[in-house]
Amino acid sequence: MSIKKSEIAYISSLSKLKMEDIEIDNFTSQISDILKMIQQLEKVNTDDIEPMAHPLNMKQRLRMDLVTEENQRELYQKNAVEFEEGFYKVPKVID
Amino acid sequence: MLRSRDISSHEILDMYMQRISDHDTSLNCYITLNKDAALKKSIQADRLIESGDPLPLTGIPYAGKDIFCTQGVKTTCGSKMLENFIPPYDATVISNLNNQGAILMGKTNMDEFAMGSSNETSYFGPVHNPWDLARSPGGSSGGSAVAVAAGLAPIALGTDTGGSIRQPAAFTGITGLKPSYGRCSRYGMIAFASSLDQAGILALTAEDTAILLESLAGFDPLDSTSVETTVPKYSQSLNASIEGKVVGIPKEFFDEGLDAESEQLFFEAIKVYESLGVQFKDISLPHLSLSVPTYYVVAPAECSSNLARYDGIRYGYRHDETDDLDDFYLTNRQIGFGAEVKRRIITGTYVLSTGYYDAYYLKAQKVRQLISKDFKQAFQDIDAVMGPTTQTPAFKIGEKIDDPVTMYMNDIYTISANLAGLPAISHPCGFVQNLPFGLQIIAPHFAEAELLNLTHLFQQETDWHQKQPPDLNKV
Repeated sequence: MSIKKSEIAYISSLSKLKMEDIEIDNFTSQISDILKMIQQLEKVNTDDIEPMAHPLNMKQRLRMDLVTEENQRELYQKNAVEFEEGFYKVPKVID
Repeated sequence: MLRSRDISSHEILDMYMQRISDHDTSLNCYITLNKDAALKKSIQADRLIESGDPLPLTGIPYAGKDIFCTQGVKTTCGSKMLENFIPPYDATVISNLNNQGAILMGKTNMDEFAMGSSNETSYFGPVHNPWDLARSPGGSSGGSAVAVAAGLAPIALGTDTGGSIRQPAAFTGITGLKPSYGRCSRYGMIAFASSLDQAGILALTAEDTAILLESLAGFDPLDSTSVETTVPKYSQSLNASIEGKVVGIPKEFFDEGLDAESEQLFFEAIKVYESLGVQFKDISLPHLSLSVPTYYVVAPAECSSNLARYDGIRYGYRHDETDDLDDFYLTNRQIGFGAEVKRRIITGTYVLSTGYYDAYYLKAQKVRQLISKDFKQAFQDIDAVMGPTTQTPAFKIGEKIDDPVTMYMNDIYTISANLAGLPAISHPCGFVQNLPFGLQIIAPHFAEAELLNLTHLFQQETDWHQKQPPDLNKV
């Protein structure tokens, strides 16, 4: 199966990845090859097979809804490039 | 030697730091060194050893793959996206080792976000194989493998999502263990494909691996997929007799991709095991050839979801030349991620998108179940599975990077253990064209002790694991 250039462009926008035209061209041919390889799966009979959700068939472990950590906003914000008075800054959304 | 004070922790650390300064310009296995903090800790370790009350790993330096969060020490994951990221906390496996006295020497180079099998996708440049600098050390834990193989660290941590510990261990002539899914905590280990990722060890011997694993493994309430079972004393079962053990050799490992010389080497190694009383049996894992296509649906799907968090706001690369919020996200991710990461995000988004989810993702999870069942069935009659770790020894840097599918096929023998969540080890078993070659053993869930026992006894009979790369002064 091959994928169209327009599909790669659309999926890139869904993935929030800006792409140059040349990148889209490269990815169109490379991802077509990847999908061709993946197509081998179509031949396998998987009737009545449960999809595997977890390697150990474990149940999701839940914990009590208790506060386990203190808020350390100043510490965590050290990794942000722009913040002010405890808030993260982004380009203006509303005029 | 540390305990008997023949050598101090400080002296050991100095020796490794000197070797790094002598050789890492050509090998490129470290991204960040933790020199000053390590030095301070080694002096404290020497005091503790002198006081006669050391912890199990007091004074032992180790290198950590740059995928593990290390408090106050830059953690890049091999990406421009995290070039300046300094974690405010330690990954559980890092604190497990530090709490037992081990000393973090530095953070090792890797494929970007662990996506790659050659270490060429790193933003910080490729790592070079010490056996031939023109060749790749494999990936994604290439930096950790080379640090150990070239004597720039005594032992290192890696992660393995599809073979990222075992393949580089095989390519560099060392021992690499991927524990069972759930054995070691994933907390603080930067996520790529959460149902496959597992932390593990790259070392010179099974014995070193066993000692470190005792501290590394264990239940962690901070990782919801961590398994609550006791951690055995792996170092105490290394010499247990393996006489009468039954090992399966799957015919599917001996396909057209395996060259004759490598195949012959594997069967020479089998003779060593036979001399130790191991019995071999031909088996079939009929769905094994589907592990690569299955993996390249499941792993990119999980990657596209895990990497959605990188928006450049709270941490990560931020490009500030735009007034539009959507354009801001698009540009941060365009500049912050490299080509392989983007390729996998797009593939993953595609297989999860409306109209394709059932055909790709659900189908792959069903085939994954079949692959896992093949192993379950095989393990009813055998104790372990053996085969070559890779089809060929290390390939040249640049040889496969432009052809993703050829590169992906590299992990054909290793991926199935990740899909089924099984523990697996690669140990050196000889040389092909003067390059190291690895033998892989896969065992049932939580049978790491079995893997280490088999490998240790093999290493008592052979000296492949003691060979050191040429042109590097000996450790």
